[in-house]
Amino acid sequence: MTLEISHLTGGYSGIPVIKDVNLTIASGEAIGLIGLNGAGKSTTIKHLLGLLRPQAGKITLNGINLAEKPAEFKKLVAYIPETPVIYPELTLKEHLELTILAYQLDPDKAWDKAQELLTMFRLADKLDWLPVHFSKGMQQKVMIVAAFLTDAQLLVIDEPFTGLDPLAVANFIGLIKEAQESGKEILMTTHVLADAQQAIKTYAILNQGTIEFTGSLDEIRDHYGLKASDSFDKLYQLLYQEQKNA
Amino acid sequence: MRELAKKRLQSNLQQSAKYLALVFNDFFVLALIFIFGAVMFWYAQVMKVLPVKAWYYPLVLSALLWLAYLPGKLVTLLQTADRQFLLATDDRLGEYLAPMRRYSLVLPALLLALAGGIMYPFASLKMGLSNLNYFSLVLALFLAKVFEQGAVSRSLTFDHKVKQVTWLIRLVLLALLLASLYSLPNALYLLLALAVIAVLALRAWKNSAFDWQYAIDYEARRKETVYAGFAMFTDVKERQVNIKRRKYLDFLLPPFGKESPNSFLYRRTLLRDPEYLNLLARMTAFAVLLTAMIQDPVWSLLLSALVMYLTVWQLLPLGQKYDQNIIYRVYPIAQKDRGQELSRVLAWALLLQTGLIIIFWLAIMPGQFAWSLLLLVWCGLLAKGYLPYKTQQLAKKSRYKKRKK
Repeated sequence: MTLEISHLTGGYSGIPVIKDVNLTIASGEAIGLIGLNGAGKSTTIKHLLGLLRPQAGKITLNGINLAEKPAEFKKLVAYIPETPVIYPELTLKEHLELTILAYQLDPDKAWDKAQELLTMFRLADKLDWLPVHFSKGMQQKVMIVAAFLTDAQLLVIDEPFTGLDPLAVANFIGLIKEAQESGKEILMTTHVLADAQQAIKTYAILNQGTIEFTGSLDEIRDHYGLKASDSFDKLYQLLYQEQKNA
Repeated sequence: MRELAKKRLQSNLQQSAKYLALVFNDFFVLALIFIFGAVMFWYAQVMKVLPVKAWYYPLVLSALLWLAYLPGKLVTLLQTADRQFLLATDDRLGEYLAPMRRYSLVLPALLLALAGGIMYPFASLKMGLSNLNYFSLVLALFLAKVFEQGAVSRSLTFDHKVKQVTWLIRLVLLALLLASLYSLPNALYLLLALAVIAVLALRAWKNSAFDWQYAIDYEARRKETVYAGFAMFTDVKERQVNIKRRKYLDFLLPPFGKESPNSFLYRRTLLRDPEYLNLLARMTAFAVLLTAMIQDPVWSLLLSALVMYLTVWQLLPLGQKYDQNIIYRVYPIAQKDRGQELSRVLAWALLLQTGLIIIFWLAIMPGQFAWSLLLLVWCGLLAKGYLPYKTQQLAKKSRYKKRKK
């Protein structure tokens, strides 16, 4: 099982935001996509989810081409958006039921797993509530529970830490580690490296729509000439300088 | 702050004018003229036969003028972002609220003038009130509104007493109105004097800390009421939909696993989103009302059939409700049978509506009950003919739109 993004160029209304992006995530691997605002992280994710049509290149997961078999591809993908997207009309229980229906999961097994996840994120007593009235952090937990319920092969996670309390962050990191151990692929965008590095060892630096470098945090330090004492904030300053000089 | 208030009032006026033009369309204005003419004709006939100075006249006049006094809340046009951007302007709020208060008085002034004008023949001819007394009475009501809105603007504080203050003023006013009209006619001057004193008392009102969130919520509720009124005639894009759980309707949902993801979503949206549920309830009530008013089987049948068609036609946008929802688009939800699934859910809603109309028909015209069964045939035609065709067309259009993007 491998995700392969090959020579992907895309964006909005014919204007390329990402250019010739190449990225491979093998089974059991997690990659953090980092870069400044506007670098193309969300655009890459939108292409990966089939929400935008590439201008060039292709995306395959386990050999299934997204452009050719979108329905099959989507069954293998779960997504946690940066801003929670809730169905205002559905209760928490119904959000999970819809996930079970859409991903054609076995209801009994799925509910056993859902109970575990709901207890972990302290949502078990809120099944009959409308999550649209939850706080942002609680809505984000609903997104996490629904995504991990799917048992999807590829997890696409966009800035997940905003609004989560430290307990939820720890639980979430634990789930990512478990997913890796069970052979899933994970792509996560984040600016919160302190939390992300507990679960993710490899990072891809996206700058001006292109992946500049892929490697561990130490390798990134070497590549950009950062000292061991330098904070990673300096990396963002360097990327900004590159943008200005371009 | 004064400039900001003026700018907001201007854009509010433009927005209201846009919607009022849609509300007061040619047909509605024509209907209003007819209804108003009919009511005035009835009023003129009644005036001819009414005895002079009956004991209950002050009660009738007080009630009608008081009802005309009620509409017209304080308009503040505060927005959610003000909590952030205007937080440090508490000491200059007076500048902002002064033009708002003046603007807020326009609607009550118009309503009181209209109600005062209509009731004038009754007050002068049947109750024997002098012109000066009657004018004082209407003016006192207007001044009471000035007082009420001034009091509300000073109550947007952490005490959260706007509702209590408003209703206290309204009830005291009703009591004063009744007391004045049942005592000596000169007591109306007393009412006028009281209103003047109340307006002056506002100046002495001590302000406590302004509660931004409370004030913003108050304005949001006011705007929602206005938008709900406009929404009866046209689509209001600014309207914030307030979804309610409505657990009592859960018995209408099939057991889990018996429906597709699309049907699952459509059915719950129909039952919980007020935009769709209110439409269904309103149109059903309209059909029942027509049946009750006409009480003629052929006309009731034809008009009910028309209402049923208009209901499903207006419910069709339910199919596009989730087109822009990112999770809906990412989830592996089959799109191939989406049109049929929408068609089935709408047919189910139509059957529900038909059932209710037939039940009320049985209560209203039990002798003509057999006619109502023809509505079931019409329901079947819409469900099996019109809906599948229309939803398929819309599904194709939606897929085409997606490809274009």
